[in-house]
Amino acid sequence: MLIAATPDNEAARLAALYDLLLLDTPAEERFDRIVAFAATEFDVPIVTVTLVDTDRQWFKARTGTELCETGRDISLCSHAILEQDILVVNDTLLDARFADNPLVTGAPHIRFYAGAPLTMPSSLSLGTLCLIDRKPRTLDAMELGILRTLRDLVVLELRNISEVADA
Amino acid sequence: MPDATKHILLVEPEPMLRRTVAMTVRSLNLGQVHEAATSAAALRLLSVRTFQGAVIAVDCVGSGKDSRYDLGLIDRLRADAAARQTLSIAIMTETATPELLSDLRERQITRVILKPFRARVVLDTIETMCRSRKT
Repeated sequence: MLIAATPDNEAARLAALYDLLLLDTPAEERFDRIVAFAATEFDVPIVTVTLVDTDRQWFKARTGTELCETGRDISLCSHAILEQDILVVNDTLLDARFADNPLVTGAPHIRFYAGAPLTMPSSLSLGTLCLIDRKPRTLDAMELGILRTLRDLVVLELRNISEVADA
Repeated sequence: MPDATKHILLVEPEPMLRRTVAMTVRSLNLGQVHEAATSAAALRLLSVRTFQGAVIAVDCVGSGKDSRYDLGLIDRLRADAAARQTLSIAIMTETATPELLSDLRERQITRVILKPFRARVVLDTIETMCRSRKT
């Protein structure tokens, strides 16, 4: 298993994340509805809005999993926040970075992963909107477009929080 | 009026679906979707520009024996200028009764999308409309 590198802008990234005052807060309908929409649209069992904290990934919104957080060392989303665009892993068992990851070899048995980085206007990626399936699959150009749009809607909600905090 | 090419009217009350479709069409450079949550908003858009196609949510109004599908906006579209009489129109609806299908045929509706459906289905419909050269 390959543990994701720490982003070069980690200190600023964490500062921006903490400024949102979103970690460990209750579920909110504005995020839940995006997650529910994505689960139906892509017919995947698990969708999360993931925020990547210092040592953990915490789920602001989730469907299909009882987990509310996992360690950052085993987080696929920690890899996705390093990307400019969506990280798609069609089959985790065929990817050396993830094949022996405990989230792949054990529950929730991730075989397919698509994580769209939640990149703020500051270029800091705070987390992901991610799709998870228990079987391999692919996304075509239209599906990638839809996922980017849903990611943009999550970022808009995060920007709303940020702008209210700055006002 | 502005050129209708690749401009699509989307009439859908549910904001999440509407926004997702409009933003994805724009990001993939398929065309430009003009959003309306209601028939009144759609009529306002129709007064200022023409469209290559329209995707319209059609709901049942009334109850019991008096229930009927509200096709008023489609009738207005078809009754207007000549360009609109050949406008490509798709509808989104809960069920397709024989009566509704007959009414739709009379109005030259080219596509019926039954709920529940994915945004992908609407996007594919819009992509097809935008590829059509007919305006």
